[in-house]
Amino acid sequence: MRSSLRRRGAGLLALLGLTGGLVFTGVAGPVAASDPVVFRAGTTQDFDASNPYQTALVSGYEAFQLTYDLMVGFDDNAQPAPGFAASWDRTPDAVTFHIRPGMKWSDGQPATAQDACFSWQVALDAIKADSNIGLGYLDSGLKDAGVTKVECPDDTTLIASTTDQSDRVLQAYLPIIPKHIYGKDDYKKLGDEKFDAPLVGTGPYTLAEWKTGQFMRFERNKNYWGKQGFADEVVLQVFSSSDTMTQALKSGDLEYAHGVNADQLKQLKTEENIQTVVGSANGWTQLAFNSYGTGTGKTIKGGGPSTKAMLDPAFRDALGYAVDKPTLVDRVLGGFGDVGTTIVPPVLGQWHVEPTTPRTFNIDLAKQKLDAAGYPLDSTGNRLDKEGKPIVLRLYMPDSDENYPKAAEFIKDWYGQLGVQVQTQVYDSDTLVDIELPPEGGGKAKYDISLWGWAGNPDPNGLLEIFRCDEIGSSSDSNWCSKDYDGLYDQESKLAGDARKAVLAQMQNMVYDQAVYDILYYDANLDAYRTDKFAGWRNQPPNGTPIFSYGDEQYTLLTDATAVPTPGPTVAGATAAPGATEAPSTGGTSGSGNNTTLLIVIVIVVLVVLGGWWYMRRSRAPKVEEE
Amino acid sequence: MSGRYLSRKLLQAIVTIVAIVLLNFVLFRMMPGSPDRILLKNPNLDPSVIEAVRAKWGLDKPLFPDQLVAFVGSTFTGDLGYSFKFRGQAVTDVIADRVWPTVLLVGLGEIVSIIVGLAIGAYTGWRRGGTADRLGNGVSLILYSMPYFVIGMPLIVIFAAGLHWFPTSGMGSIGGGNKSLVDGLIDLVRHLALPLTTVSLGLIGGYSILMRSAIIETRNEDYITTARAKGLPDGRVLRAHAFPNALLPMVTLIAINLGYVIAGAITAEVVFSWPGLGTLTVSALTSRDYPILQGIFLLLAGSVVIANLLADIAYGFLDPRVRT
Repeated sequence: MRSSLRRRGAGLLALLGLTGGLVFTGVAGPVAASDPVVFRAGTTQDFDASNPYQTALVSGYEAFQLTYDLMVGFDDNAQPAPGFAASWDRTPDAVTFHIRPGMKWSDGQPATAQDACFSWQVALDAIKADSNIGLGYLDSGLKDAGVTKVECPDDTTLIASTTDQSDRVLQAYLPIIPKHIYGKDDYKKLGDEKFDAPLVGTGPYTLAEWKTGQFMRFERNKNYWGKQGFADEVVLQVFSSSDTMTQALKSGDLEYAHGVNADQLKQLKTEENIQTVVGSANGWTQLAFNSYGTGTGKTIKGGGPSTKAMLDPAFRDALGYAVDKPTLVDRVLGGFGDVGTTIVPPVLGQWHVEPTTPRTFNIDLAKQKLDAAGYPLDSTGNRLDKEGKPIVLRLYMPDSDENYPKAAEFIKDWYGQLGVQVQTQVYDSDTLVDIELPPEGGGKAKYDISLWGWAGNPDPNGLLEIFRCDEIGSSSDSNWCSKDYDGLYDQESKLAGDARKAVLAQMQNMVYDQAVYDILYYDANLDAYRTDKFAGWRNQPPNGTPIFSYGDEQYTLLTDATAVPTPGPTVAGATAAPGATEAPSTGGTSGSGNNTTLLIVIVIVVLVVLGGWWYMRRSRAPKVEEE
Repeated sequence: MSGRYLSRKLLQAIVTIVAIVLLNFVLFRMMPGSPDRILLKNPNLDPSVIEAVRAKWGLDKPLFPDQLVAFVGSTFTGDLGYSFKFRGQAVTDVIADRVWPTVLLVGLGEIVSIIVGLAIGAYTGWRRGGTADRLGNGVSLILYSMPYFVIGMPLIVIFAAGLHWFPTSGMGSIGGGNKSLVDGLIDLVRHLALPLTTVSLGLIGGYSILMRSAIIETRNEDYITTARAKGLPDGRVLRAHAFPNALLPMVTLIAINLGYVIAGAITAEVVFSWPGLGTLTVSALTSRDYPILQGIFLLLAGSVVIANLLADIAYGFLDPRVRT
């Protein structure tokens, strides 16, 4: 019996050896020419929905933009470019979109203006009902653009009536979905639709499969109206850890890694065939000062800011001089980011202005300003408010960003040098929203400073509206209110071009001068990609990143790296890794044709098989009875 | 085994599961904040829509009795609701997708670690004080004290990113067309290799240390002395006499650990982005996805209760003294 068991054991060993051989051979095996070309991009942000109206995440936006076209897309500079509509004409009270004739959905059905009319009309229905589709991030684009009516006189024309002649209608982030599939849905039902894969779209790749927590897989849309992408499939893969994602990029399991940290980026810079990119993010990290009562005179019983000093622009302004932002960028962001100033990020170059009266780091000046504003030091070195009470500020932050606590420690130290004590606390996002909400939102706004961040749309209004009076109780985290600011907002919303920029400049300076926020830094998107399988990488906009930006065009620009020389960095902001411009290695994801690996595999297989054979022989030898 | 013993154990298990269901409801609602609050950060969202979302998620009604009654009723009918995070996905569907990857990884890890851990523990205990004992026990202690990510990351760096022998993460290659059964199996084995090694190494230490002490206790038993007096070879005494008797205390540990198979090895799953219940738990926690968390908690607690029930029954068979 025992020798039979041993024979089985030896057989098992041999089997394991063969299996191991197959496994290793699988590793070393070359990629066949007929294998589909798969482009794999990693992200640490999980997908929340395949329904575009239900997603609140960057990853979700990236996914739905691959499947669906917007009415107007984005060019390399993130400016309007042909999308579902091939062209458009602007008149003072309407925009006429010309839908390209002969366009088809991925299922072969004709894609016409009727689909666009349905997609926009259902959003208008929600707006007219003072409601939203799903989470309300998409339909509000039409509201903000002042669209009041849509008409489709024929299959190639959509006329959108607008309240003004602003050009924001061209940047409405609203996907055009197929009427022949969702046409029976009203805005309520559409928001709840599951959008089960496979989806039908007009984008370059359509969602074929979604495994929650794992990946979304897209297949090339053969009916796509634009350039067909080189990759047959696009996989957006979710990683639980950015460390693992970084290793996957290094090993060749991935072609693109979105959202690495500063240390990982520095490490990847030294890798062969990997290029890193530092893209300016459309957002910022800020200190939002709770100035509840500013502009309204309201107070909160048992809540609100801990001192009336928070309502004093002179106090907040003085604090601004105590923050060394270049040090924050250097020490907290590892040098990857930009010093923060106004509320329109520089990535929106067309609209961003620097402050007319900038604050620079100067602790002594900050002290002088506090003294002059009526906030003296007491004998123990504590700064007193106008009621004679030591100022102790509650600075809260969410746990969503590892950089927040680091930045908070610097702030605590710098404010401390002014005699202003700071108590810091980290909360999860939901709890922090609860704490920050004023009575208008059902809370008590019991905090002084919120260290958090915002991300915006291609149009700056998404960020500007946070400071409107009617956002108190909702998105406002400063609880600041100014009728002048609201008036400027309403004014700029109807303007375009330089006239709009002039008003935007006033608004940016107003918020800066009033020190409603102290924007610490404009964050950076740290990405990296391999150059040995795909070429044609191009940042969008030039100071952005190749993908996870705006629209879907970048996916179609990728080409076969083995067929063309690997390009060097194409734009400012990208940093080339040593060796990135060297001739690319052959395709495949894991060093195909690696003779050393193959040799090791063969040796292991031979050893295990020989071992098994020897063990079997030994087990057949006569046994000496032990008992 | 008496029917009375069996029914008592069954009743205890049922009462425990009912208590778990109630605790499940209270526990997650005691956490500060609310999953709908983050919706308020969207400046475009109309308040009426937020109210509609609250109603849809059942958050608009009082906790007691409305939400409790609805929760208990739906739980016992197998309806665990819909995920807050994965919008439109049923909790049972999301969890069902993640159970088998975890069972595969942690279940295999348990089997490997039980076999290897018991072998190492038995040998080192038997050779107490020798070089093998010092080495084996030292390695076991080191492995026992090492978190999964400390074991896993070097494996990734060496065998995935360095030597390219194995993939870095996931449970299979995504895309690239359909694979044959054999290719699919090979692909799975390749992806499983490093996480399985990590989980196994992480579990071996515990089994080895416990087995070693159990073997040491049996070394001085009379039946061991008798076996030696009979002139049996040392290895035979270990295998046939010491090892089986030392196994009894291991049954409890194995039973408890098998119950925790469902819980998975959270950090190992995170390190390898293994699509199991561990990564789902982390994801649900960070997004305050109550329904998913409740589902996982229920599954985990239920599996532990059932594993313990089975262990009690097994004990009843193994040891007549506990049958009454």
